[in-house]
Amino acid sequence: MFSAYIENPTDCRFEGQDAQEKILLLLRAHPITNLKWIIPSLLLFLFPFFIPKFLLFLNFDMSFIPSTYVVVFLIINYLLILTIAFEGFLYWYFNVYIVTNKNIIDVDFHSILFKNIDVAPLKNIEDTQSSMGGILQSIFHFGNVFIQTAGTTRNIDFHSVPRPHHVADFILDEAHKLYGS
Amino acid sequence: MEVNFFESKAVLFVVKTAVLIILVFYGIFALLIIRQVDLMRKTLITQTSEILSAISIIHAGFAIGLLVLAWVIL
Repeated sequence: MFSAYIENPTDCRFEGQDAQEKILLLLRAHPITNLKWIIPSLLLFLFPFFIPKFLLFLNFDMSFIPSTYVVVFLIINYLLILTIAFEGFLYWYFNVYIVTNKNIIDVDFHSILFKNIDVAPLKNIEDTQSSMGGILQSIFHFGNVFIQTAGTTRNIDFHSVPRPHHVADFILDEAHKLYGS
Repeated sequence: MEVNFFESKAVLFVVKTAVLIILVFYGIFALLIIRQVDLMRKTLITQTSEILSAISIIHAGFAIGLLVLAWVIL
């Protein structure tokens, strides 16, 4: 359900999916990329524990602040953490790359209320490239896949997906199946 | 002699107003998240989508509840 690499998912559909269209591969960014919202959330979580010590260090007496204000600031802090974590998870969960027996679909949610869906027919796929570089990508085995399409169709890029070389090969194999070669 | 700014009613009024303005924007943001999740779950239909939609509604409820709470207790 929360995997970043799912072959033949059964409990999943996407907007505009045809009746005969079957999802072969569903990809998300590698889970380790979620650290970019997990770390700030953890830091913000610990923030209220260090504030009193920091203010004491500055010779500021916290007992002056009314307790109701302290409670409200604490609740705001934890709601902020909830928002960061929830938004981070939503972007990770819904920014998906889908390979079907007909098309390649790249679903992007860049910000609130901005949606971008790129669709390229498998028959237009000319070439695929995969790249992996850097410490995290090498350790956790994820990287980018670049899919070149024919003509003026926009190229599709899969970012930070697990097993990029395998994915590139898989897409090309599926394209070859359509050509019968 | 130490000065306690929080004894001044003017300071408390400014802080309360600032907190309430922030919470009003937060409430609007929480409502936008509901719409965003709705858009997302229509794009990718999975079993988890309903749970995420429920979380977004609960979150908006908390945000509006906090606005009311802050209005009352501050």
